[in-house]
Amino acid sequence: MNDWYRDVSRRRFLQVSAVAGAAVALGGVAAACTTGASKKTGTFNWMTWSDHYYDTQLDEIKKAADIGTNISELADNAEGFAKLKEVTGQLDMLSGDALWVPKNFDEGLVEAFDINSLAVSKQLYSIAREFEIWTKPAGYLGYPFGWSPIQIAYNPKFVSPAPDSWEVLLDPKYKGRIVVENQPVEVVAYMAKLAGIKDPYNMTDAELAQAKEALLRLKPNILKFAQQNTDTVAALVSEEAWLATSNLGAEDRVKDAGGSDVVTFIPKEGTIGWMDAEMIVKGGKNHDLIMPFLELAEQKEYIAENFIKYGRPLFNEGAYKILVDKGEQERADRYLYNKPETVLTMTLKGPGVSTDAAIRVFNEVFGA
Amino acid sequence: MVDPIQASHQPRARSNLTRGWPFLPAGVVLLVLFLLPMTVMVAFSLWRTNSDLDVVPDWTLDNYIYFFSEGTYVRTFLKTLIMAAAVTAAGIATALPFAYFLVRYVGQRWQRIVLLAVIVPFWTSYLLRAYAWQAILGEKGALNQFLMGIGLIDEPSRLFVYNDLSVWLVLLYVYFPFAALALYTALEKFDFNQLNAAQDLGARPDQAFRRILLPQIRPGVITACIFVFVPILGEFLTPTLVGGAQGALIANLIINFFRGLQYTTMAAFSFVIAGFVIVVLVIFRRYLRVEDVVARG
Repeated sequence: MNDWYRDVSRRRFLQVSAVAGAAVALGGVAAACTTGASKKTGTFNWMTWSDHYYDTQLDEIKKAADIGTNISELADNAEGFAKLKEVTGQLDMLSGDALWVPKNFDEGLVEAFDINSLAVSKQLYSIAREFEIWTKPAGYLGYPFGWSPIQIAYNPKFVSPAPDSWEVLLDPKYKGRIVVENQPVEVVAYMAKLAGIKDPYNMTDAELAQAKEALLRLKPNILKFAQQNTDTVAALVSEEAWLATSNLGAEDRVKDAGGSDVVTFIPKEGTIGWMDAEMIVKGGKNHDLIMPFLELAEQKEYIAENFIKYGRPLFNEGAYKILVDKGEQERADRYLYNKPETVLTMTLKGPGVSTDAAIRVFNEVFGA
Repeated sequence: MVDPIQASHQPRARSNLTRGWPFLPAGVVLLVLFLLPMTVMVAFSLWRTNSDLDVVPDWTLDNYIYFFSEGTYVRTFLKTLIMAAAVTAAGIATALPFAYFLVRYVGQRWQRIVLLAVIVPFWTSYLLRAYAWQAILGEKGALNQFLMGIGLIDEPSRLFVYNDLSVWLVLLYVYFPFAALALYTALEKFDFNQLNAAQDLGARPDQAFRRILLPQIRPGVITACIFVFVPILGEFLTPTLVGGAQGALIANLIINFFRGLQYTTMAAFSFVIAGFVIVVLVIFRRYLRVEDVVARG
């Protein structure tokens, strides 16, 4: 069976499964919505990343429950936080990473809720319902969605011996051959990890100096800062870059884009990572639509299809079982889908007390 | 008793007010979209951001002091000025002969077609155009393929992209139309018989150019300079896409503060640039006034 055929049949199967499975759930929830005291229909405003949904999913939800979405693209957590502060109730749901979730809550921008009141939450890995950083006396701060550690991807044709440490990024052999994301605070955090600093988002002056020293050694090796993941993939495919920092799945994305084999690894010093969630905005004008929407949108069939489309681990255990049943286990396991506890070993992205200092360090190194 | 002087001024004041109403919409736009944001920016630049990433209205000059005390920012700003000047100079140097040739030797119909070709790139996204240059200048890009094809180089060169030269080249490409259109407009009004007359009277071609043509198109040259030089001071996209780790300009460093929600530092740095731009415009304005006099004379 060729790749095209396998892909098409897999997709078709999952689409059929998704439609069938979701139809049952949609029927139930839609019935619940319509038989309740008030029918919760309408359109709500959601600021999110483009891989948190797909069109068919939204169309089906709209058709079944008459809940539409008005989506604005989220560039990064800082942008989401800043925008929500400005517009408050004009948004109804916001996606955010790890420590940005409690940050939004502490600022009074989002509200806690009882995650167990959502039947669909039973499909989550139990660990995802109990993250300490997202637990407050008032409830849970977000509906867990996906996660990924930052890995190093390299082309074994040019990089040898096989690296296992952040140190490889500083090797003069790879001058002008490395692509990193254009995220100053994160790049400084990688260097902090290399220097053995425990909390890269809350560094002391001495620790910042260590990170800066590593950053100075990294600078000549950087080919460019990637604006988005596709830039990283393109640079690896063209072999302009031999090494890159990336989310899980870089090897498949490079392969899919026609590139040669790329190997990925998590550095032995540990890594930075993200896990994201959907947050309910406090005082959102369409607040009542969010729980019924989550009940539908987070169904395992949709999440399995989302994994197929976008390729990174998600917190829905039910979806993993679907993926296994349908022959996707190898890929899912390679992406650590079945090891959500890995999240606990990562330093989670988030705002910290040394954010400003990290940017200053970055600028001092990469300015003229 | 009515003051006769005041009385004589009242109708004129009313008349000025009546005549001034068309200015009102622009005035409102200017106030709401320029002056108010600038005022907020000035205030932010004099406040500080706390560790919770909140802007705190504690008045301080620390943000400005930081800019001028940290060599990186001053050096990067100087580099930005040099880049802007280099692109402006190259823009004028390429756009002037282009516009001259177009106005003097090309018929009206073809002029319109060529001008359309000049502005066609504006119909596509700036981002796409900058990305396209990555594909042209990259290691496996069109330029390397071409040079290898004609046997000029044996292996792909990495010198064409991710450095200051590629930033300069792409900025020149992006801003060339602005310079070309400003110069075309100035040259279109010029009577080329004056050049012939000057040469008939014994002027060499370069003398005729310097003493007859240049003074009369100076407003166009200055406008072209403003259109190219000033926006480049705020350029961050091109340096990001084709500058690599070495190509940062001052706006790239400012954007980093924005990404980290350090609005107060960002505001102060932006205001340093804005202040510089105002000085540049004042200087250009002086030249324009001189030129107006020359043009009238």
